[in-house]
Amino acid sequence: MNTLLDALRFIAHNGALPADPGAPTLVHLTLQMLWISGAGIAISLAVGLPIGAWLGHLHRFSFAAINVSNVGRALPSLAVLAIGDAILGIGITVTEVALVILAAPIVLTNAYVGIAGVDPEIVDAARGMGMSGWRILWRVEVPLAIPLLFAGIRTAAVYVVATATIASLAGYNGGLGYIISDEQSYHLSGVLGAAICVAGLALLVEGVLALVQRALTPRGVQLENEVRGEEVDPLVPVTAVPTP
Amino acid sequence: MIALAATGPIIPTFGGGSSSYACERANRLFCPGWVSQNWSSVLWPALRQHVVLSVIAVAIGFAISFGLALLAYRRRAVERPVILLTGILYTIPSLALFEILVPIKPLGLSARTAEVALVSYSLLILFRNIVTGLRDVPDDVREAARGMGMTPRQSLWRVELPLALPSIIAGVRIATVTVIALATVASYICDEGLGVPIFQAIQDGVFKTELIVAGGLAVALALCADGLLVLLQRALTPWSRARAR
Amino acid sequence: MFRNTGRGLPAAVVALALAAVLAACGSSSSTTSSTTSTKAASGPGAGKPAVVIGDKNFPEENILGALYAEALRAKGYKVTLKDNIGSTELTYKALTSGQIGMFPEYIGNVLSVIAGITASPKSAADAYNQGKSYLAKHGYTLLPMTPFADSDVVIVKNPYAKAHGLASVVDLKKLGKSFKVAALPEFATRFAGLVGLRKDYGVVPSFVPLATSALVYQALDSGQVQGIDAFTTDPQLKSGKYTLLSDPKGIFGYENAAPIVSNKVLAAEGPQFADTVNAVSALLTLPAIQQMNAAVILDKQSATAVADQFLKANHLA
Repeated sequence: MNTLLDALRFIAHNGALPADPGAPTLVHLTLQMLWISGAGIAISLAVGLPIGAWLGHLHRFSFAAINVSNVGRALPSLAVLAIGDAILGIGITVTEVALVILAAPIVLTNAYVGIAGVDPEIVDAARGMGMSGWRILWRVEVPLAIPLLFAGIRTAAVYVVATATIASLAGYNGGLGYIISDEQSYHLSGVLGAAICVAGLALLVEGVLALVQRALTPRGVQLENEVRGEEVDPLVPVTAVPTP
Repeated sequence: MIALAATGPIIPTFGGGSSSYACERANRLFCPGWVSQNWSSVLWPALRQHVVLSVIAVAIGFAISFGLALLAYRRRAVERPVILLTGILYTIPSLALFEILVPIKPLGLSARTAEVALVSYSLLILFRNIVTGLRDVPDDVREAARGMGMTPRQSLWRVELPLALPSIIAGVRIATVTVIALATVASYICDEGLGVPIFQAIQDGVFKTELIVAGGLAVALALCADGLLVLLQRALTPWSRARAR
Repeated sequence: MFRNTGRGLPAAVVALALAAVLAACGSSSSTTSSTTSTKAASGPGAGKPAVVIGDKNFPEENILGALYAEALRAKGYKVTLKDNIGSTELTYKALTSGQIGMFPEYIGNVLSVIAGITASPKSAADAYNQGKSYLAKHGYTLLPMTPFADSDVVIVKNPYAKAHGLASVVDLKKLGKSFKVAALPEFATRFAGLVGLRKDYGVVPSFVPLATSALVYQALDSGQVQGIDAFTTDPQLKSGKYTLLSDPKGIFGYENAAPIVSNKVLAAEGPQFADTVNAVSALLTLPAIQQMNAAVILDKQSATAVADQFLKANHLA
């Protein structure tokens, strides 16, 4: 219990380290981590969303699109980070590359599944109205696929924050992982304090994305889900679950 | 000369200088010599521990999720709090969760801590898939079972659960693969599993051979376990294959 | 929820992975574990109770642990080696709780971490004696120290030293913040680190914390930083590429290695136990430990194999 109190005190003191007045503050490290994660998520979205959505629109390469995230899930993030170190050298680049390698497949698979799973009758109706492929994708399929698209984005975000924490074990010295990997200086209480901050940050990111999802989901989709008893709980992370 | 030899140690060359370990010294991508020398003392024990760590986590996770899922299937009110709680556990980054568990007295720096964390990651996935699988059983099937004179318990075990198997095993597959990947991080707090050689390789200045072999074993193990579960599902649900044809 | 449409490929992947794992299993059964020693149970250690030796979590400690363990086994003692226990605090805790009976420690660490004495010792002998008397009060014996010392040392590349006329850490003062030094993170908070540099020399460099000592060397070699905190026994120092800056005020202390043994173990194992350990320690000169570190750190050989070769060459095993 003492360790927990010390950890809370450590957080209250903004991560101050008596022996090292120049140590980075908790706020600084948290913001840094938010920045690293934000960039990782943004790049993953830029890579995964267009490819997944377009393949889903065309209904092509379904096996690859669906299983790419299974392979991604099997990759140990620590090993990805370390192998990146070996090839590219330590630094922010490796961290971001690893984040994208781990997160983009999840985004891609969910985008594919979301778009490909839109009721073909609706798509046919849109085509009958004379809509072009692009317009169908953008105006019909994407809005209907929002719940699954966001499932991917949210899972990816959770992965990115977790991996950004682990990056410190593989030599990168940014974010809150910096404290977690230096128990010598920060002792267990500091490490615990940083861990609590990481957990809080992850839950915050998850919660904000859930609210964004709710704001973006078309009213009709929300209603339909409620009728089917599948109301999407904004506080709960959703993962696309493959049913073989 | 003799006096020198008596005071100073004889320093061997340890394997004939740099030539025998040129690959290791240059840190090339893959040094087969290192793998064969360290397979039985480092890699194989780590792989075995990794399997044990993962199997225990998924087994305990399944037992807990199964119980909760049956409860939630009967009483809907249970579902939301369980999803919320397991969702929070699922969201907390692995390294942070390990560190949060370390100060708890009976856990500490041990495999128990690793198991608790790994189990908590499997709960959301398993619980949701079991509940969804049961809920997706068509109502008329349930009614038909009742009509044949089955008690609710009989209907659950003989009709509903078998029909929910594909969804349940899908959950077990994801949970297993996730746990196997996460178990590598567990070795930061307990000296077990394939994370041990991975951390060692990082400590040794990113020793590529060890990293690639240990990381590769973890991926192979995950894919292998996934494959075995697919085979298990096919064996358990022959009817779904017949229907697919 | 979605449906997996492919069926053929997963089976193929599974088959491949299974084949790989099975092949792996098959090959492992033909080799035997080499961790347990099968030396003849004769010599002064025969019939004495088993002893557990621990070591901390870095290569040099693994080598020291293996050296003592193998030398004792050669004399017939029953020894279990617990590798990589962790930091000084954790390993000492393992000793006081009776999980291990002995572990190699550095005399500066004995003083600052275990005894909590912050005043700098005047010499290696002073550090050793203070540590020894502290441990004696708690039921432990600090056996004689090794000739080598593994102290922190700030190093720079030779051309950089020449260009800026660097020979001692005192010379770093004129470079100010433009001198970037990389080290393990704890360098920031220790007296044998940035604190001592600032207080005793007025040197305040820019600091780049890195997670492992291998990364620290990489940072220096790639020019990311101008200097690093190295250790005097690092095998990399044998290359001659680096200039070691002297430490006239001795902030980096004295870090010869010395085994800490519980008095209970010493009493139970008899006088030959300490004699065996001391014979090993006496041989550990700087070139000897550097060569062994090179074999483990650079050549990735196992600490046990390296220790065995060294002991055999010196007729201790």
